[in-house]
Amino acid sequence: MRFFKGFKEGMTCFGDLIAIIVNTVLLFIAYFIGVGITSIVAKIVGKNFLEMKTSAKVKTYWSDLNIKKRSLEECYRQF
Amino acid sequence: MYMLSVSCYYHDSSAALLKDGVIVAAAEEERFTRKKHDTSFPINAAKYCLESQNITINEIDYMGFYEKPLLKFERMLSQHLQMFPFSLKTFLSSMPSWINEKLRVLRAIRKKLKYKGDVLFIEHHLAHAASTFLVSPFEKAAILTVDGVGEWTTTTYGLGEGNKINLMKEIKFPHSLGLLYSTITAYLGFSVNNSEYKVMGLAPYGDMNRKTNSYYKKLRRVIDIKEDGSYRFDLSYFKFHYADRMPSKKMCVLLGGPIVKRDSEMTMKHKNIAASLQLVTEEILFKILHHLHKVTNCDNLVMAGGVALNSVANGKILRNTPFKKIWIQPNASDGGTSIGTTSYIYNSVLGHKRNYALKDAYLGPSFSTKEIKTFLVKNKIKYSEFKSESDMIKKVAKLIYDNHVVGWFMKGMEWGPRALGARSILANPCNPKAKELLNSKVKHREKFRPFAPVVCDDDALTYFDCDNPVPEPTDFMLMVYPVWKKWHKVIPSVTHVDGSGRLQTIRRHQNKAYYDLIKEFGKLSGTPILINTSFNIRGEPIVCTPFDAYKCMMGTGIDCIVMDKFMIWRKDNPQDIWDSEQYAKD
Ligand SMILES: [Fe+2]
Repeated sequence: MRFFKGFKEGMTCFGDLIAIIVNTVLLFIAYFIGVGITSIVAKIVGKNFLEMKTSAKVKTYWSDLNIKKRSLEECYRQF
Repeated sequence: MYMLSVSCYYHDSSAALLKDGVIVAAAEEERFTRKKHDTSFPINAAKYCLESQNITINEIDYMGFYEKPLLKFERMLSQHLQMFPFSLKTFLSSMPSWINEKLRVLRAIRKKLKYKGDVLFIEHHLAHAASTFLVSPFEKAAILTVDGVGEWTTTTYGLGEGNKINLMKEIKFPHSLGLLYSTITAYLGFSVNNSEYKVMGLAPYGDMNRKTNSYYKKLRRVIDIKEDGSYRFDLSYFKFHYADRMPSKKMCVLLGGPIVKRDSEMTMKHKNIAASLQLVTEEILFKILHHLHKVTNCDNLVMAGGVALNSVANGKILRNTPFKKIWIQPNASDGGTSIGTTSYIYNSVLGHKRNYALKDAYLGPSFSTKEIKTFLVKNKIKYSEFKSESDMIKKVAKLIYDNHVVGWFMKGMEWGPRALGARSILANPCNPKAKELLNSKVKHREKFRPFAPVVCDDDALTYFDCDNPVPEPTDFMLMVYPVWKKWHKVIPSVTHVDGSGRLQTIRRHQNKAYYDLIKEFGKLSGTPILINTSFNIRGEPIVCTPFDAYKCMMGTGIDCIVMDKFMIWRKDNPQDIWDSEQYAKD
């Protein structure tokens, strides 16, 4: 009985380990293919995804937000 | 009409329940799971909210969530796209939680709560803004929200009027006053999203003069601050936008050494760095507030976001800006957004008039006399019973006067990070050794950190150089004020090194027994002030249930607990059950 319990626990750990390895490999691929290529192309065409720079020329860093009222329909959206 | 809102998966998960416009229950998940700053889905807090009103999930008309998950995901992807290939490590570590839970909020709500109705999503800073304005006493107020980051936004300002909120302007990630505070917190060897208040407590030991503190000048090099308070960072000093460490090597060079090791002794240099951070924070806040007053032409101010917990800066606002009145909700950080989400849906989205103002923080679980007695009897705990409330107040005041450390367990558990007389540890502030006593018996905290005083609202101006009238956020321990000089030696254990105190004011209608106890102590000592510190040990959340309170007392040196009308002495009960030292961590 104890043997089977231990065996089951061992298999669960093994399964978890396999899942972590597979996930990591898939994420590696997603990062270098998906994120990497997009990032390189964006850098070539000069696109920035974050506002990285300060500027002595501008008077303010405030940007418009203009949230006045949210309708019920807008609130169903997750974006 | 019932509405339930939740916030989770970042830090301080919470749930709040609204009934016909009134917040009837709210609590943070950490108090139930006993895991500090718990980020998990607040299933226990939500269950408490429902049970408190004897309702089931089927009676909830709408559920709310405190942010827009897809917008946050977009920001996270943008960070990786911008910082490729340096963000690989954080991509690998953060993506599984996005795939498994953060992008599946709707599924989690349906599955964990078995909720079948409508779920609404509110922008994070809108939830912050609503969490303070819609439950404030003001019909009209200027709004400022400042935190680490929501979806994209880190700072917003706007105007609230009636049940409407207009958020006008924003500053976006990665430029964030909250993340600057966290970066220096990390640099000084403290834990991020937890110990920022310790850095605030350390600051007065340093040089709080802009002209002479050399680190202030260094830190100013890192940030470009415009006249209207808007700001941006030189990002070469930071790593938080792509790595799990916050300060970069360049920041370490600027501050003259590597990141401080955890639990290191704080030197004068570290104290000056903490002071410079506080100076920069105040400078930015006051500039924004001057601009905000000019834009809104409104004398009332409400604030929210983690930075609104900076009680040192808060205490200076009315004296350094044109605002005349201020209100901050007790749970100003992310935990508080569940209240904001639910109020925003009810008042602003559905258009109901406001009919509620938050007057005290006792929104968490409370226990009846019968429930407490059952707990005591069932667990064979030795206790005695007070004859009446006045008998209790007289006896407990005398115990505190005789330098006993007393656990005080009454009413509903506090909403927010501060103990405010429902789950408090009380002690004698006139005892010069009270700080050492509390630290050795219970709190095990850093030597530099002061304890907080509680004073009745009508005595506050006698002992503290407060704004007059005393602002309501002082009730929630959100304002630090100078202690009048002549009292420094009378209440040494609650007077910080710079002569300030992070006081709590208590009004009698909020908590009658607590108020009367302080007055009774005043009759004995001549000083109607008590030390009020949270009922927990370092590293644990504040206690929630009678069991948590009893366990905390038995594992520490708290002498006794006053629980409703019952008195439980540590010496009367077996003392070797728990050892608090093992819990004493950051
Ligand atoms: Fe926030």
